[in-house]
Amino acid sequence: MTTLTFPLSRIEGHARVVIEVQGGEVVSAHFQATEFRGFQYLAQGAPAEQMPVITPRICGVCSTAHHVASVKALEDIYGVTPPPLAITIRELLLLGQLLQNQATSLFIFTMPDRLGVASIFHLPDASDDADQRTGVATRALQVRQAGTHLIALAGGQFIHPVKAVIGGVTSGITEQAAAAMRAELEVALPVACALFDYYWESSHALSERLGTWGDDAPAAYLTAIAGYRPSFYGTQLHVLLPDGSVCTNFEPREFRDYLEYTETETSYAGQTSFRGQVIRANSLARINMMATMGTPLADGYLERFREAFGQPAHAILLYDLARGIELVYAIERALELLSQPLDYEDTDVPYAPRDGEGYGLVEAPRGPLIHHYRVENGRIAHAEFIIPTVHNVLAIERALRVAANRYITPERINLELERAVGRVVRAFDPCIACATH
Amino acid sequence: MKQFAVLQLSGCAGCEVSLLNADAWIQQFQLVYMPLVISAYDVPPVDLLLVSGGVRSDEDLHTLRRAVPRAQEVVAVGTCAISGGVAHLGDRDEVRQIFLAHAERHHVPRMLPKSHPIDAFVRVDRYLPGCPPTPQLFMALLEQDPHFKPAKTVCQDCGRRKLKDMRPQRLLGFQQGRVEEGICLINQGYLCIGSSTRGGCGAPCTRAGHPCVGCRGPSDTFIEKESAAWFTSIERVFASMTDIPPEDIAAGLRSPQMALFLFQFSDYAGEAGQPRPKEKVL
Repeated sequence: MTTLTFPLSRIEGHARVVIEVQGGEVVSAHFQATEFRGFQYLAQGAPAEQMPVITPRICGVCSTAHHVASVKALEDIYGVTPPPLAITIRELLLLGQLLQNQATSLFIFTMPDRLGVASIFHLPDASDDADQRTGVATRALQVRQAGTHLIALAGGQFIHPVKAVIGGVTSGITEQAAAAMRAELEVALPVACALFDYYWESSHALSERLGTWGDDAPAAYLTAIAGYRPSFYGTQLHVLLPDGSVCTNFEPREFRDYLEYTETETSYAGQTSFRGQVIRANSLARINMMATMGTPLADGYLERFREAFGQPAHAILLYDLARGIELVYAIERALELLSQPLDYEDTDVPYAPRDGEGYGLVEAPRGPLIHHYRVENGRIAHAEFIIPTVHNVLAIERALRVAANRYITPERINLELERAVGRVVRAFDPCIACATH
Repeated sequence: MKQFAVLQLSGCAGCEVSLLNADAWIQQFQLVYMPLVISAYDVPPVDLLLVSGGVRSDEDLHTLRRAVPRAQEVVAVGTCAISGGVAHLGDRDEVRQIFLAHAERHHVPRMLPKSHPIDAFVRVDRYLPGCPPTPQLFMALLEQDPHFKPAKTVCQDCGRRKLKDMRPQRLLGFQQGRVEEGICLINQGYLCIGSSTRGGCGAPCTRAGHPCVGCRGPSDTFIEKESAAWFTSIERVFASMTDIPPEDIAAGLRSPQMALFLFQFSDYAGEAGQPRPKEKVL
């Protein structure tokens, strides 16, 4: 038996892909998380009100999503409904995270696969050059920074934010600060669009070279957003079947009726299925379930996407294009929200702590995230984190088997396999710190 | 152009994400290794090696020990590399056994019995504490700017006014109550420890209305001392500014959210065998 091990880079955290081959036949393909965080155990006994500060540290890339999900889980236990201003500010936090994440995934993690380099930091950086390859790093960081500045504005710190508290937020946003943020986003929008156009073009060239956008079979999709002008604040989960029919909507507290979780000996991350079926979360799931984005430029891209690939679209590399549509949407939607008054007094409502069980759902950039706590005597008796990357593990492994079968023959292993492994994994933008929480 | 590498051990990648926001380094330094953003599988010889994350698995330890001899200078970056950070919550007696029982897997790196700061195993030339350190602090570290003088404490960075006649009777904790603008959080009854936490972060949390949890560790006054000295100083601040029962403050300081950071320096110097001199800490 031949065992091929591919260490992974340009993803969050430590993971590798191990493919076993026997006589030219692919026996297995495993996506292995090789680090362990264990926050469900670390959180044991912590005072419940400290969870919004502790849980963001699960992951510095996704800290905003954990911060908001944690506050929502505690509000569910305490029976608190935050005022509309607080919800808008939390939405801005999540949009900042989406903007930051999709810019990072597109332009830092996966752009090098389109341009045949190890990193965008290895591209020329003279920004006056006419070649589109120049200045990618500077422009990518500029767009990404608009997202981090938005998180800092709405959340205090851009990593491990603090402004969402049980009952609301600690402060509003002054018109002066909102205006400065709008100005930065206005500048970032055309830069993001130009980079995305270039990304789309190079993705198209890549698919021509490979002869495919991905030849894995259709799958079911899971997301917490739907409809029009999506809010990432999350109320219900939705499942779309491979044929495009919406199968079911369910509450976060019902997740066990739909999602089956298992652990394996080959990874510190578990895996979930939708009643035994392979399911996919993240950008493509959302784009497949949206009617429209509701903002002009994002809808322009969505229309172009639908004309080329239909709805639902299933090819793996389309995850990355879907991310670009969301990047544009995040900027446009944040501009809309920042144009309304955000500095009035109703930042929070009072609450009385009590014991009980609660669930907090948000749509993180990687898919639906649920925090589930049981609180006894004011302390965490049980904490559970239902993580988007974990929903995708079976889908990643299936796609890896497809790629392995494509590039491994009894005669030889095509060197394209290593690049294909990287492209498949990065399309799902997995987060290992979260997956091993 | 100086070359630098970033080695990420067990952590959350928040330090790396923060470094990415300090984009001015692109023009001044060549980043040659950082798996988050570069496909490169081994640390090459470098001028500067930044290490983030704690030593949690045998693989972390192996990678760290292989990388350090290739670097002219080694910097421990972020709470986890300096003290183990959030992973230390798993070292509490009541949690460690279940944590380790669930960390048994056959085909992946083995977890060590506990998490360790990196200077328990390798030489460290400088320390950059913070969870995570801000982009400005990363730039100050990379540029080794002799004129960069961080504020001594978070209080100095914060800008909220301390009032003599506003003495809270009880501790609000971290979450409860509406935060009043411009007024010191201690005056409002929050367990804020910015008065003795190392400054230089610009106080993003307290400015946004959330008490300082001490992620930058103790200020120079306490950095070479036992954490007991830091605790005492915080308790004294609350005794002089509030009428909150001292036992409430003591209990609050020992709760996980604070203990994460409050045990950051002096206590772990014991394991490393050497106290961390304040000159080495940015």
